[in-house]
Amino acid sequence: MNHEIYDPDDMIAALATPWAESAIAVIRVSGAGSIEAVDALFSGSVKLAGAEARKLTLGVIRNPETEEALDEVMAVPFKSPVSYTGQDGLELYCHGSLPGLQKILNLLFQSGFRQASPGEFTFRAFVNGKMDLTRAEAVQEIISAKSGKAQSMALSRLSGAVESRINTMKSNALGIAAAFEIQLDYPEDEVETPETPMGELLQIKEGLTELIASYQVGRIYQEGVVVALAGRTNAGKSSLFNLFLKEDRSIVSDIHGTTRDFLESWISLSGIPVRLYDTAGLRKSDDPIEEEGIRRTRQVLKNSHVILYLLDGEAGLSEDDEAVLARADNKRVVVWNKADIASQPCPEGAVPVSAVSGKGFQELEKVLKDKIFHDSSTTQDGPVIDSLRQKNLLERALYGVDKVIEGIHNGLPVDILAMDLSEVLQALGEITGEVSSSDIMEQMFSKFCVGK
Amino acid sequence: MDFDAIVVGGGHAGIEAGLALARLNYSTLFITQSLDTIGRLSCNPAVGGLSKGNIVREVDALGGEMARLIDGSMIQFRILNRSRGPAVQSPRAQADKNLYSKLAKMTLEKQDNLQLFQDTVVDILEDSTGHKCEGVVTERGRIFRSRVVVLTTGTFMEGRIFIGAFNQSSGRLGEPAAVGLGTALRQKGYTLGRLKTGTPARVKKSSLDFSQMEEQPGDELMQPFSFFREKSDRPQLSCHITYTNKKTHDIIRAHMHESPLYGGEIVGTGPRYCPSIEDKVVRFPDRERHQVFVEPEGLDTEEMYLNGISSSLPEIVQEEFLRTLPGLANLEIMRPGYAVEYDYIDPMQLLPSLESKRHEGLFMAGQTNGTSGYEEAAAQGLMAGINAAMKLQGKAPLVLSRAEAYTGVLIDDLVTLGTKEPYRMFTSRAEYRLSLRHDDADQRLFPYAEQLGLATEQMEDLFHKKKNGLEEIKELLRQRRVSGCYLRKHENLIPHEGKNCYMALKDPHVNLSHMDEAVPELENYPPAWLDHVELDVKYEGYVARQERQVARFKKMENILIPEGFDYSAAEGISMESREKMKTIQPRSVGQASRISGVRSSDIAVLTVLLNQGRNRSINNADK
Repeated sequence: MNHEIYDPDDMIAALATPWAESAIAVIRVSGAGSIEAVDALFSGSVKLAGAEARKLTLGVIRNPETEEALDEVMAVPFKSPVSYTGQDGLELYCHGSLPGLQKILNLLFQSGFRQASPGEFTFRAFVNGKMDLTRAEAVQEIISAKSGKAQSMALSRLSGAVESRINTMKSNALGIAAAFEIQLDYPEDEVETPETPMGELLQIKEGLTELIASYQVGRIYQEGVVVALAGRTNAGKSSLFNLFLKEDRSIVSDIHGTTRDFLESWISLSGIPVRLYDTAGLRKSDDPIEEEGIRRTRQVLKNSHVILYLLDGEAGLSEDDEAVLARADNKRVVVWNKADIASQPCPEGAVPVSAVSGKGFQELEKVLKDKIFHDSSTTQDGPVIDSLRQKNLLERALYGVDKVIEGIHNGLPVDILAMDLSEVLQALGEITGEVSSSDIMEQMFSKFCVGK
Repeated sequence: MDFDAIVVGGGHAGIEAGLALARLNYSTLFITQSLDTIGRLSCNPAVGGLSKGNIVREVDALGGEMARLIDGSMIQFRILNRSRGPAVQSPRAQADKNLYSKLAKMTLEKQDNLQLFQDTVVDILEDSTGHKCEGVVTERGRIFRSRVVVLTTGTFMEGRIFIGAFNQSSGRLGEPAAVGLGTALRQKGYTLGRLKTGTPARVKKSSLDFSQMEEQPGDELMQPFSFFREKSDRPQLSCHITYTNKKTHDIIRAHMHESPLYGGEIVGTGPRYCPSIEDKVVRFPDRERHQVFVEPEGLDTEEMYLNGISSSLPEIVQEEFLRTLPGLANLEIMRPGYAVEYDYIDPMQLLPSLESKRHEGLFMAGQTNGTSGYEEAAAQGLMAGINAAMKLQGKAPLVLSRAEAYTGVLIDDLVTLGTKEPYRMFTSRAEYRLSLRHDDADQRLFPYAEQLGLATEQMEDLFHKKKNGLEEIKELLRQRRVSGCYLRKHENLIPHEGKNCYMALKDPHVNLSHMDEAVPELENYPPAWLDHVELDVKYEGYVARQERQVARFKKMENILIPEGFDYSAAEGISMESREKMKTIQPRSVGQASRISGVRSSDIAVLTVLLNQGRNRSINNADK
């Protein structure tokens, strides 16, 4: 089967700045024809193809099909060989809104660009002699380190549910491939023609469509996440709430509500819009007003994606705390507040923080982010994908499945169908691990009795 | 030196290697254990089949012999899988086994520069360095010296056959094995393995009742495999189909313990794609019946071949279960089925030229390299012969790529990935199969034959005649339009009124026979040319799509790795990959990327390093 290899000549694109909300983000593209390809999406004062190299041009990126304007950007063309990679290329200075960037990248991928592999710009720079020979070793390290990191990231990012979902689709596709290939490898009279696997194909199509729709980062960034602070009174919820607001410099809205039920504020956690709630303490009360507050608190907790449950490190665990912790809840993050003056060691699994001094806050933010990305509670149901790369590959697989289905309707012969199906397998293989032709043969020989 | 070249073995690989060397004017000694068994079809009496037919035609386009031999001896011809698409159809012919063998021997005898000699080779001669092969030693103690040696020993190297409890040192039933050579090669450091294959019983034609079987006739039109033969006019015989049943399977199950396969006597790995009937019964217990093809072994013999039911059960048991098949109740077995186990050389020890990495001048081809099949053997034999000749000429070897020939896929797979079971070609092994059709093998490969000097004037004439003919047909189709008056006869043309015939032909529901009125000249061309054009036109778009992949593939194939490249200094490449690359010695970055376990980042680093070397040499040249 085709091995994924760095091809130094086709057009690649990638976000050059970190994937996070920011004022400005830079998208970099490289490859022969890339300036012209971007030009087709760009309307500015001058055509980029004719523009002076290494000079900024203001313009709008527009989807040529829908006419939708995606962003106002500054474009800088680079002409081969005077560029980082040595090829024609461009840098696009865009606004740093993540949904917006995603739209621009998607448009590029639809227009003939391929997502750059880790280290690929540097690799090209080297192949094209743009780098000093003495830096060869450094480049090697970058390439292998980046690929290593990307691989481990890709693996850790694939949640168990998604992996098993993709593997199921892959093995179904493998089964179809075996049914196709057996017809290529054995004549009509030796192996009967298997039935057209339309049902399985439609199933794969449905699965792919669902997974693509679940693309979480997009949704999280667009719709935001609800995070609630809970815990008994005096555990330090308000201090932590304030700390979130203070540490975060991009407060979106003002505080409202009363402490009797809850406080609510929009904050931005590394670009993720978060609706943060400070709830009333959970305790039994005869006061009807406070009771109402607790009822509302429960409502907020029910609707939140993540609950930060605060323990009072100074006072230790209360009976209520123990009762709460005894109930499993996978959307809960336990916070050991007042860790600096705690009377006992931090319980296992809890995050030690001091809301007053701010110690441990960064770690808490990190834990919270991980929870948001990895926890299925941030979506309604089913497995979700969370990387753009995965989404692109799934879309490629879906495209292939559609081609196969269309081909069957048009009566195309099986060797053409097999070609489209192999693209499906390759795309799925790039997510969860390669599919080799020996895998297909394995399937073939176990499913079909062959041999004249 | 006694000879320029020595070819060991008289099978399908040996024939091609010997003829290629002699035709390129090298004095060649052809040693075989028996001059009476040259070009034997040891197993099924057929040549070609899916992807294998393509290989036969590739051998032909490159100036080899196999297509001519089968053209002269076929007794049935069929194009298989016409309905399944352009890439997968392929010709197959039933052969008259004795005639095939006789033609092969006659061809060798008539060949200038080729000396035939009967003896058994037991060892190779090394020069004083131990890294170069200089000839061979035979069983009778003869020593022959030469500059290159091609080993094509097939299943005979340390061969052993099994029938029930009986086993014997043999290459084919009744013929002694080549004993000693395998051991000698092991001692010289080669890694050898054991493989197993099997063959069914041969039965007497007059003892069968064909009225109880389905007849399977050949195609009406018999077509030659060779591009350089215009017509085929051989007699056609039918094959017949019968089926096993529950009774057959019960007998086989009851005697399973007597099978050397299940008794543990056989250690070699058998082919999954061609299992014995014992294997089929064990692995597919739910199947009520298995197909058996009854195939004639020739025009002037009573022997019939029972395809699909190979077995190594005791002879008595074979007879018992075979008699349960419709039409076989009174059968007489003439030769029993048997399993054969033999030594093969791990082909990863060979370069893509099929030259040994251990001994310069020693080439290996055929079943010796772990393949199965006459066609796979012939293709390797031809390439080994050609590359041995290139060696003698001091030229670079001819290495066909995966994108230009099944032969390229075959050899690349063998030397890059090795094999653990007898390797058979499959259509699905070829990534770029749309460009590897059987009918365009001459367009792909004949230019090599011309360059090498393996093309005769007659071959060149025919090649160019066809090439021009194909262009003429396409031009006619482009010029003529689908006009209203044809539509009454051919409704399928209705959507294409006004278009030219070339465009109309792209519709899956339209074929060339619909063009009889628009382009009446078509009937002046050979049917094979018309088929060729039809497939060219119909699948042009898909081929173009594949061409883009091919272009990407070629880019990586064209980045060559210099011989003796120092992988130990390539620190950016993972240790495991470095070790593998050191062993395989890939000739290009493309080949390196196909080694199992090598990651894309390893390939990226390798490319960087190679480029660095290139930059450096450019810099040095500046100074």
